[in-house]
Amino acid sequence: MRAFLSVVGLELKALVRSKAALLLLVAAVAWTAAFPSLVTGDGTVAGARELDIHFSLGGVFALLVVALLASATGSLARERAEKRLQLTLVRPVGRVALILGKVVAHVVVGAVVLAVACDILAARVDLATPCRHVLAPILPSVQEEAERMYAVYLADTNTPAAVRHAPKATVLRLLANRAIDRYETVATNAVARWRFAAPGDAVRFRFTNTFEMRQDVCGVLRSGAAASVVSNTTQAVVLFPFRGESAELSFENRGTSALMFRPRRDIQVLRTADAFAWNLLRAYVVLVAVLALVVSLGLLLGACLSRPVALFVAFVTLVVGEMSPSVVEQYPDELETNLADRVGLAITRGAAAVTRPVSAASPLEALAKDECVEPASVAGLVCANLVVAPLLLALLGAALLPRKQDDLV
Amino acid sequence: METLEHADPNYTKFPARRRALRPDFAIMCGMEKTKQTLGGAPHAAPNVIELTDVRKTFRDFWLRPTVKAVDGLSLSVRKGEVFGLLGPNGSGKSTTIKMILGLLSPSGGKISLFGRPPRAAEARRRLGYLPELSYLHPFLTAQETLGYYAGLSDLPRAEAKARTRELLAMVGLSDVAKRPVGGFSKGMARRVALAAALIGKPDLLVLDEPTSGLDPISTKEVKLLVKALRAGGMTILTTSHLLADAQEICDRVMILNHGACVAEGKVSELGTSLEDFFLAKVDDAKDFTLAPFLAG
Ligand SMILES: Nc1ncnc2c1ncn2[C@@H]1O[C@H](COP(=O)(O)OP(=O)(O)OP(=O)(O)O)[C@@H](O)[C@H]1O
Ligand SMILES: [Mg+2]
Repeated sequence: MRAFLSVVGLELKALVRSKAALLLLVAAVAWTAAFPSLVTGDGTVAGARELDIHFSLGGVFALLVVALLASATGSLARERAEKRLQLTLVRPVGRVALILGKVVAHVVVGAVVLAVACDILAARVDLATPCRHVLAPILPSVQEEAERMYAVYLADTNTPAAVRHAPKATVLRLLANRAIDRYETVATNAVARWRFAAPGDAVRFRFTNTFEMRQDVCGVLRSGAAASVVSNTTQAVVLFPFRGESAELSFENRGTSALMFRPRRDIQVLRTADAFAWNLLRAYVVLVAVLALVVSLGLLLGACLSRPVALFVAFVTLVVGEMSPSVVEQYPDELETNLADRVGLAITRGAAAVTRPVSAASPLEALAKDECVEPASVAGLVCANLVVAPLLLALLGAALLPRKQDDLV
Repeated sequence: METLEHADPNYTKFPARRRALRPDFAIMCGMEKTKQTLGGAPHAAPNVIELTDVRKTFRDFWLRPTVKAVDGLSLSVRKGEVFGLLGPNGSGKSTTIKMILGLLSPSGGKISLFGRPPRAAEARRRLGYLPELSYLHPFLTAQETLGYYAGLSDLPRAEAKARTRELLAMVGLSDVAKRPVGGFSKGMARRVALAAALIGKPDLLVLDEPTSGLDPISTKEVKLLVKALRAGGMTILTTSHLLADAQEICDRVMILNHGACVAEGKVSELGTSLEDFFLAKVDDAKDFTLAPFLAG
């Protein structure tokens, strides 16, 4: 333990005395403090607040990701190149402890800088504003729905041979994407019903029509004995205050034409949770956990590659991790025609699958929209990013470090 | 060493003629009570370091061999002795030391340190190492440097503090204890590194050219220190290019050339000066070719 604390202390001193920590702090303070005067929102108070929360903290977080990744990647690689590491490695300190000590020091610096940015933000936004849980309708999982659709396809004699002979996984992936975006229709005077985990205080919905044009929406929302008339237009996302009395919600279409909606995307019930201050705290914890993952990745690369190569790989990984989910999402499977496309997509899908837990952990959007950063997801993300991933990456780094020792001494 | 004798035609054992040891080492270091052990390490003492047919070939990125740095080296260092590893530049002294410390993996052969593999934590707990160059963290003060290595050696905090103070006083750096070592002269940095090697109370001290960069007075002090530590029972493995000094402080020496042992034995049994003996053994080392340069 003493050896581990020594490593943490050394790394903290390195970060502080190289002025890296100070520069980060100054940049974070300047950005967070100046943001409201630099950027104007859509003119509404709510819009300005949303923008402020999202991008003042988002900017600081992005800065920390880049700076700490670079610093962590360089830390071990530089010590190795400058041969200082040999003096550490002849001591009875484990290589895992060495790497984890460096992770902790970097995370501490990141956590402090981020805390200061959060403090500055907290001074100008209303901490008492309530945030809300966002409940989606209870539906079968996307995979289950894809499996069901697949069974229907196979049973259908008109299904083309190409679909029958395509790999099941590919077809299921295609169908899962369809399931997420699947539209349902509510005909005139028909009623659509959904079940939620609990009744809410508001309903958020977005209706469309077949022609993708604006059109009046007219209908009645019901939940238990509560009922309310809704009238607005299609295409727009509407947040409608409506206190439900049961976990059931229904919508009766009283308009003149049929309406369409995607059950997995277009209808949610909102339920008041705690205050913004708590939500900010949860978002902060998630961001610090993600920083730990990023730093651990940098240290792993620094343990097994030379400094310039490690830095290059670290940033390529960051970019791929950031972009692959949207590439995968936007790339239609129909284009998967030649081998190069297939290989490229397979790699991108792999990267997306690996980085999804992190890219999905974006608490700032929820925080800005006053949606609750759910404690359960915070616990999961902290466990994965702050505990499990750094431990695994440190173990891997420790296993790879001796292989590089012929270069280091 | 029998196997080597057969393997290497150049291999020599020192001529077996006793030479009186200077009797006053221990008294100079104020450790009279261990004086009687000075007549050479007892043969029954267990080996602290044991190398059997160790080889090291450096390879390039494509794993093609580039340098054969150590070639079938066997040696043993007994508990409580000062063992000198001598040889011309590039003869493989530092490489051997790094393999003993577990910093490099040997390409072949077997190494044991306190009867364990070199990377075992139990072995490293009993080890102090002074590398060829000092390799200090420039942003740490002298005091913090020792504190850091004390921490890595798991020394309790209070003990670490006291020992840091003692060692800084010993190497004559008490008055600059709070200055960053990045601003130290080469010799000052060397002293800090030497103190750092001693902070964990090692049983085995490995010194790679301990006096490089030190002035004559400091060099003399290092010699005194080595003698004092030996008198206190510490095992010391050292390399040096100062052969007179090596002769003075070492119980046994081994001379390496091109990664192989060319001579090994007790200094007390050496008839001539170590320097003459060394030059006779490795005069094929053509590091400098002065004639054309001087003629031109
Ligand atoms: N990391 C390395 N990669 C490649 N070759 C190396 C490496 N380290 C040492 N060598 C080579 O191994 C040989 C032995 O080097 P070593 O440093 O052990 O010599 P030495 O006896 O300590 O010399 P000196 O007295 O100059 O310190 C040399 O030819 C050197 O070039
Ligand atoms: Mg050397």
